[in-house]
Amino acid sequence: MSPVMILLVSMAQQMSMFLVIAYLLSKTPLFLPLSNISARLPNGLIIYFIFSAFCILASLFGHTVNDAIANTRAVGAVLGGLLGGPFVGLAVGLTGGIHRFTLGGFTDVACAVSTTLEGLLGGLVHLWVRKQGHYESQLFSPKRALVVTFFAEMLQMALILLIARPFDQAWALVQQIALPMLLINSIGAAMFMMMIQDRRKLYNEFSSAGSDQALRLTERLVGVLGDRPDQASARRIADIIKEETQVAAVGITNETEVLAFVGLGDDHHKIGETITSEQTLQAIRENRVVFADGITTPYKCSHSHRCPLGSALVVPIRDADNTVIGTVKLYEGKRSLFQSINRSLGEGIGRIITEQLTISQHHEQKQLLSQAELKVARAQVNPHFLFNALNTINAVIKRSPETARSLVSDLSLFLRINLKRNQSVSTLAQELEHANAYLHIEQVRFADRLSIEQTVSDALLTQNLPTFTVQPLVENAIKHGTSQLLEGGQVRIYSRTEQGVAQLVVEDNAGRYSPTPGAESEGLGMNIVDTRLKHHFGSEFGLQVECEPERYTRVIVTLAGVPA
Amino acid sequence: MRVFIVDDEMLAREELKDLLAEFDQVEVVGEFSNGVECLKALPKHRPDVLFLDIEMPMISGLELASMIDPESAPDIVFVTAYDQFAIQAFEQNAVDYLLKPVQSVRLQQCLERLSQRSQQQAPAFERLVQDRCLTLIPCHQGASARLVRLDAFEYAYSDVAGVHLWDGQGQVHTHLTLKVLEDRTPMLRCHRQYLVLPQAIREIRQEDDGNAVVLTMSGQELPVSRRYFKALRDLFSIN
Repeated sequence: MSPVMILLVSMAQQMSMFLVIAYLLSKTPLFLPLSNISARLPNGLIIYFIFSAFCILASLFGHTVNDAIANTRAVGAVLGGLLGGPFVGLAVGLTGGIHRFTLGGFTDVACAVSTTLEGLLGGLVHLWVRKQGHYESQLFSPKRALVVTFFAEMLQMALILLIARPFDQAWALVQQIALPMLLINSIGAAMFMMMIQDRRKLYNEFSSAGSDQALRLTERLVGVLGDRPDQASARRIADIIKEETQVAAVGITNETEVLAFVGLGDDHHKIGETITSEQTLQAIRENRVVFADGITTPYKCSHSHRCPLGSALVVPIRDADNTVIGTVKLYEGKRSLFQSINRSLGEGIGRIITEQLTISQHHEQKQLLSQAELKVARAQVNPHFLFNALNTINAVIKRSPETARSLVSDLSLFLRINLKRNQSVSTLAQELEHANAYLHIEQVRFADRLSIEQTVSDALLTQNLPTFTVQPLVENAIKHGTSQLLEGGQVRIYSRTEQGVAQLVVEDNAGRYSPTPGAESEGLGMNIVDTRLKHHFGSEFGLQVECEPERYTRVIVTLAGVPA
Repeated sequence: MRVFIVDDEMLAREELKDLLAEFDQVEVVGEFSNGVECLKALPKHRPDVLFLDIEMPMISGLELASMIDPESAPDIVFVTAYDQFAIQAFEQNAVDYLLKPVQSVRLQQCLERLSQRSQQQAPAFERLVQDRCLTLIPCHQGASARLVRLDAFEYAYSDVAGVHLWDGQGQVHTHLTLKVLEDRTPMLRCHRQYLVLPQAIREIRQEDDGNAVVLTMSGQELPVSRRYFKALRDLFSIN
């Protein structure tokens, strides 16, 4: 076996040992800081100790070759830098380097310098990746670790040649160790990084067992929500969120004050207080999620500098018009990390609440609308009609008591239907009964100036249509149609078939229909009929109007889905 | 007291006539189912009081009131089934208003109020209708009546046969007086017998003899009296 091969195998063994140790370590909490990028000092210290220890052990267990040591120290220095940043990297490199220097040999200076520089290189790459705005997960790329370590080792070889004397010996050494060290260290760094990445993945997957949690949270929240949160419902919401997310504290505010606060720091985050927190005000002002991660942007409690809370996520709650009506805030303590799962959960909670509010507002408005519509339709008993009818009856009593009696019964029928009909759907027969009660009265009132003709197919009488459809159309035909004629007014109600679909037509012979926008006198009644027809039959089945001036106006109701 | 009843509903007229029949001082001298017929009959019968329904075909009661020459104006009582806005409007202005069905007691009060009014007093509805600008003019040609937009005409003139409007090709008759047209439309007086619509004037020409004429768009020449010339001249800034 050639010396290079021997060295290669030996180094592979060394690396294997380290990887096994690393694997075992990865099962301990000690490893956790490695999988989270944080500028916090404790995190940096842990990285420093772990990788410095790696460097030292690597030097100690290195394979002595020609008064030098073939080793895997580079892995420690580079990874220390990659994970901990330039300062940690430099510190790791320096520690490893100084330690190596104490071991002596003709490459001691070269190795010390190169190890330090390797640590720094890792740190600079860390810095570069963050500056590029990449996700931090990019830092855990095994591929990148491999490349960086490869170049770091190239650097080391170059430095040995440059610094170590005599050159002949250095040259011989490099020839022997270059290949194994480049190979083993690069691959080792990549494998080490893979291990960290796996651990990180595992951790995140463990957290997103949270999807279950998210669903449960949603379910519970939906039960509580409905209206704009008040103090009582805010308290319930906050309790649920805290219970499900296990964050340190949860706060809920409206646009101006705190509605609820539960958890850590509730001794000085008081309910009913005006909002003073910078992040909350920002979230409300800018209508966006504000995250103080506690690392780059610390959460500073505006009440007390001794507040134990260190990070906060502020999610705005919006109403249907997308205006902010409050916030939901999730907090973590100074000593704990704001889990990214909770961050996305928190944003989700904001969306759920917003959506619930929108839905309930929409629902409420819709209900109000249809109630209002029915009310308006009912209230459309035109006072003019009513008093004119009474006046007609008054006049008729003396001349024809019989006619007067039938008028009174028509009027009662008309009013009874108007007052009583609560269902939103009626049969055509019911609708015609209503319209006829109205027409009989108008017929007597206008006497020879109005004639009425009605030919509706019996087959259609059982068809359903929105209540208060026909009478308003008939009323319009008279009020805005025939009553404007000096003589010879005619109103016809008939059914016809148009392209295989049944239609009901209310026609007058005045031909005075003018769709003036904003003309309220005609508008309201017709609009309501139109809207209700569209609700009932579908949006393409609103009222149609055919008009030929001074000849006719036809208002057409299409009985959709009814074969003629 | 001679009265007209104007209501498009026959039964409503009958009812009011029955009620009025109980008062000896009242004589119903005409009843009409629309405003056009009423306007036509006004000069002939010269009634003292008009009972006007408000909702009527073609010309509403309020419009009709504004078409009546204030000089010959009878007192006006509106009779309406329900019109709270109108009631608010003429609460202070109209001589009176009655709500249908009319109560006999209420009618009596109304008639008393009418007879107490001195003849010299300007009709109270004047203020009610003074801002009302006519855009549709009731016209008749032979037996048929219709409403025509004011700006279809160039000028109006009166002669022994009545008031005529020239529409650029021919003339129609109206029962409105020149005074009403002058007061309620943008038409300008250029002569005792002539009104002209400003936008129909093509030219105002001063003749050698000092008299002036107005030339209309359709080429008609209208006389201009001295007393109206100055006003016309000022209006068009002629020096």
